[in-house]
Amino acid sequence: MGLFESAAARALASSGVFLFMTVLLIAAARRISTCIGLYSLQSLVITAQIAAVSRMHHSAQGFAIAAMVLTVKVAAIPYALYRIVEELKAPRDVSSSTSPSQSVFIAAGLILLSFFAVRPYVGVLGGDQAMLAAAVALVLTGGFLMVSRKKALMQVVGLLVLDNGIFLAALATTFGMPLVIEIGIVFDLLMGVFLMGLFVFRIRDTFDHLDVSKLRRLRG
Amino acid sequence: MIWAMNAVQVLLLILLAPLVRGVIARLKARIQNRRGASVWRPYSDLFKLFRKEDLVPASASFVFRLAPIVLFATTLVVAAFVPLLYGSALVGVTGDFVLLVYLLALGRFFLMLGAIDGGSSFGGMGASREALVSTLAEAPFLLALMSVAIGAHTGTIAGIVQWTVGQNFFQFSAVHALAFVALALVAIAETGRIPVDNPTTHLELTMIHEAMVLEYSGPSLALIEWASAIKLTVVMALLIALFVPWGMATSLTAAALAIAALVLLLKMAALVLVLALMESSVAKLRMYLVPDFLGVASALAILAVVFTALMR
Amino acid sequence: MTQVAFSLFLVATLSVPVVTLISRRWTKARALPAVLLMASLATGIAVAGAGFWDGQRFTVEVSQVASFSFALSVDRLSAFFLLLICSVSLPVILYSSSYIPRHYSGARRDWLWVLLPLFLMSMVLVVTASTAFAFLFGWELMTLFSAGLIVIDGDSEERRHNIFIYLLMMHAGAAAVIGAFLLFLPHAGNFAEMRASATLMTPALRTAVFLLAFVGFGTKAGIVPLHLWLPRAHPIAPSPVSALMSGIMLKTAIYGLVRFAFDFLGGGPSWWGYLALLAGGVSGLLGVLYAISEHDLKRLLAYHSVENIGIIYLGLGAALVFMANHAAVWAALALTAALLHCLNHAIFKSLLFLGAGAISDATHTLDLEELGGLQKRMRLTGAVFLIACCSIVGLPLFNGFVSEWLTFRSFLAGSELTDLSAAIVLPLAAGVLALIGGLAAACFAKVYGVAFLGRPRSHEAESANEVSWPMQAGMLLLAVACVAIGIFPGMVLGSLGALTEELIPGAALPQAAALLSAVLPWIALFVLVLVAGMAAFKRAKKLTATWACGLPGLDERMQYTSIAFSKPLRKVFSQVYKADRTLNVIPADQPYFPASISYRSVRTTSFERLLYRPGVDAIVAAAYRLRRLQTGNIQIYLLYIFAALIALLMFMRWV
Repeated sequence: MGLFESAAARALASSGVFLFMTVLLIAAARRISTCIGLYSLQSLVITAQIAAVSRMHHSAQGFAIAAMVLTVKVAAIPYALYRIVEELKAPRDVSSSTSPSQSVFIAAGLILLSFFAVRPYVGVLGGDQAMLAAAVALVLTGGFLMVSRKKALMQVVGLLVLDNGIFLAALATTFGMPLVIEIGIVFDLLMGVFLMGLFVFRIRDTFDHLDVSKLRRLRG
Repeated sequence: MIWAMNAVQVLLLILLAPLVRGVIARLKARIQNRRGASVWRPYSDLFKLFRKEDLVPASASFVFRLAPIVLFATTLVVAAFVPLLYGSALVGVTGDFVLLVYLLALGRFFLMLGAIDGGSSFGGMGASREALVSTLAEAPFLLALMSVAIGAHTGTIAGIVQWTVGQNFFQFSAVHALAFVALALVAIAETGRIPVDNPTTHLELTMIHEAMVLEYSGPSLALIEWASAIKLTVVMALLIALFVPWGMATSLTAAALAIAALVLLLKMAALVLVLALMESSVAKLRMYLVPDFLGVASALAILAVVFTALMR
Repeated sequence: MTQVAFSLFLVATLSVPVVTLISRRWTKARALPAVLLMASLATGIAVAGAGFWDGQRFTVEVSQVASFSFALSVDRLSAFFLLLICSVSLPVILYSSSYIPRHYSGARRDWLWVLLPLFLMSMVLVVTASTAFAFLFGWELMTLFSAGLIVIDGDSEERRHNIFIYLLMMHAGAAAVIGAFLLFLPHAGNFAEMRASATLMTPALRTAVFLLAFVGFGTKAGIVPLHLWLPRAHPIAPSPVSALMSGIMLKTAIYGLVRFAFDFLGGGPSWWGYLALLAGGVSGLLGVLYAISEHDLKRLLAYHSVENIGIIYLGLGAALVFMANHAAVWAALALTAALLHCLNHAIFKSLLFLGAGAISDATHTLDLEELGGLQKRMRLTGAVFLIACCSIVGLPLFNGFVSEWLTFRSFLAGSELTDLSAAIVLPLAAGVLALIGGLAAACFAKVYGVAFLGRPRSHEAESANEVSWPMQAGMLLLAVACVAIGIFPGMVLGSLGALTEELIPGAALPQAAALLSAVLPWIALFVLVLVAGMAAFKRAKKLTATWACGLPGLDERMQYTSIAFSKPLRKVFSQVYKADRTLNVIPADQPYFPASISYRSVRTTSFERLLYRPGVDAIVAAAYRLRRLQTGNIQIYLLYIFAALIALLMFMRWV
């Protein structure tokens, strides 16, 4: 068991690395399905982090949250999104306003920014520097994805990544929120994704395209 | 004793390089549902080419025949930098990563000149495209190697390997992860594999390396092909040595060396498999998308270097 | 003893113009000025060698003119630059002894032999001056004599415009340098006084001195955005003069900056170093990017000078950052790298310009698109040009690699500093240097390949012949130096280490430099043995025609041109090159066969468009508005005088 513990502790300490890699790869991705897969991977890493933290604090509540996150964020939501992509039969590329290498440079800049933003607070909040920085980086990257990708479905993915970031920030600072709140958040997310799925089909049927940059009727 | 070991490492790299190429080609063929040529085919190709005569364009100068020789010599010297079985190399003590990158650049410079000397459009085209790819690949190559060297507090490749062996496998460092991905991307560009360049094409739309060597024949072509195989093997050995060197012999006993050889074989096999799978499943990039590809590598390498300071 | 030799050197060089003027009627004594100048340069090399390798110092007081003192003194730094000047000029003068009579005759030839030694003398004056007056005197003379040498080459509207811009920018730079010296008042006498008084200066004053020196010497060195004169002035000079200007004159500016920043001021806050790093990085990148798009050989080489000055500034900036962080050992390494690159660049850039001169001598054109296949016709010129190309790209076994390697090593050491911004910026500067190196490789593969390899693209290139033996000998000397320093850098590194130890207190050249000197000869031996072995192995060879896909008649126009070669890189870096393109198609009756198509592409560098033109326009507009003061009415002028008088009276009353 000692080996397990130490391996878990080491893996937890290095998990920030995986999250940074997913941030950069999501910025460089050129297909929607790649982004969904990377989101699923991100959620898997976060699940592992929750499990490791629960192991260290010996809380059963934490394992319940981990199981919930696993079913919803790693399996259910990505599966739903994959189905939506299949049904839409639209071109699968991420219409982005920045080229992949520009996006990766911007994502790298956002990661550096999150490191510098988090530096003064590391001692105060008691979290690990890498995890906190990863959380802020996820939030910023989610925002960047929503701003730069023109497909409606990518707005959803961006929102999901952003939510991942907030979740991780909560995990890093307070080691999880009460179970009830966690369940509430996850179900909100699930509903949100299904509603977005419906709306995406409505947008496509009304306007015959999914480019959000062309949706400009709401003007003064 | 160590000298003999180092010399053996270099010889292994040189002699096994065509085999690596043969195995990759055979694996790709199997993945693509073909039977594929024998894995020893590159050796018979080299023998055949060495027995033939050089066909030299009448308008070419001495650079045309000098270029393959310089390319082969520099690639050979580069092979002496990389530890394979034991944590030291022939040029281990003072050889280091800048010298490695620039020796490769020397070989490539002469290959470009030799291509232009052929006097055909293909040579100029290959050289011009190779100039684009190699220019953009040099910065991430150096930055990624530098980030690993900063972490190891030493500039020599053998030194980096010895430091990494002493590290804990589970302690993933962000620097190493980023540097690994950046180096992998650069390795694809440097060795001319898909998605940057197709090593088996002869369509002028898609040729980069092949266009440069189109005019060559006989022993000159054999030297170029062998040098290209050695370069691929050396780059793969470099990736293994810098990032996953565990299993290397720490003492010069027969048992340790045998284990090291076996572990190296497994690691190379894994890399070869990954390369073959990737080459069979990813499409070759349009040439003006290659700067984008290398831009991603540059961003990762820059981030790796910045992280060495941030994560202290 | 060395003092006597030094005085002899000065007198001998100054006597060359006199000898030229006296002997201009005698056809037998045509070679006399060249021989005399070479002899005096050889003396200069001996003197400088004694100063650099042995560390001897000596002073020559030339005259005392009232309160302006004029003295020359040679310490190790001056000896190094003196060695640079003399040892690079010697091959250039050997080359010119044949080049000048072939291309110039009569009065122009005499003027060249009068002005060349005076130009060299002015540069010697700058690097050996030990008083501000002597320094500035030499500085201005450098500009004047080089402009004179350019004027000799011909006259036209465009040339006059370029010379005007050259003189204008040089004077602006000189004004900044004079300002930097003036800030040392009242102790601006000789250098020793200035060094002593610098320690008493306030930080604000030191910053002002540094900035003025940076701008002034930067204009002369040619860092971006002060580089505009370089690609205008260097191409229009005669080839040996271009070699001297690009190889040596730019280095005097580096000497000035090193004197000011390291010797007088003794380093400063980190931001000085970051400023130099920024200037160096931008100059390096933009210089090589503009060079890639050029096909006029001399203008391309001029842009490469901008790039190499950028690399030198990267080394200087790193040294300043290290000094600010109290890492004297690494500062010594960075400074050694920068100074070695000065020497290396002087050697290979002069060789490149001499090669360009040889090309123009043989083919009467410097347009890369008209050349080709010259290697087979001009064997030695081609071989030494290849050596120069390999050196400037920084390939191992040639001298450019040594200084670039040392610069990389110092950037790597930057990661060990405790200051976070330095630990991030210095390693990233290595990436910039790597990119610059890669671009330089692409550019020189193009230059050598298009000019010397392949098939000749014009009749002139087809009928080119090898140049005369003095020109070949001059180029060969420089090429041998390139390879010698590339394989045995220890010759120079030891004394350079002693030099930097003098400039930076508490420094010692780190082991890294010694290791490189130990390893390079072995690697060179290994590579050369392999290459020689394989080349000697007699392989059967059969001459054929180039593969033309089975079609007959591959002609030379089917080869890649210089513009075609650089197209992929120009497309990737298109932000730098914004060109104005106009395409005129005059249609004819049939839709796909127009009567004529004309395409015009004009490039103005973005600095001219965005920085200089608006500035110049604003100044000219302001000047036009000021013109209204000049009404021509005499009473208004009297009014101005009385108004000034009244204002002065009021001013005196209230002060």
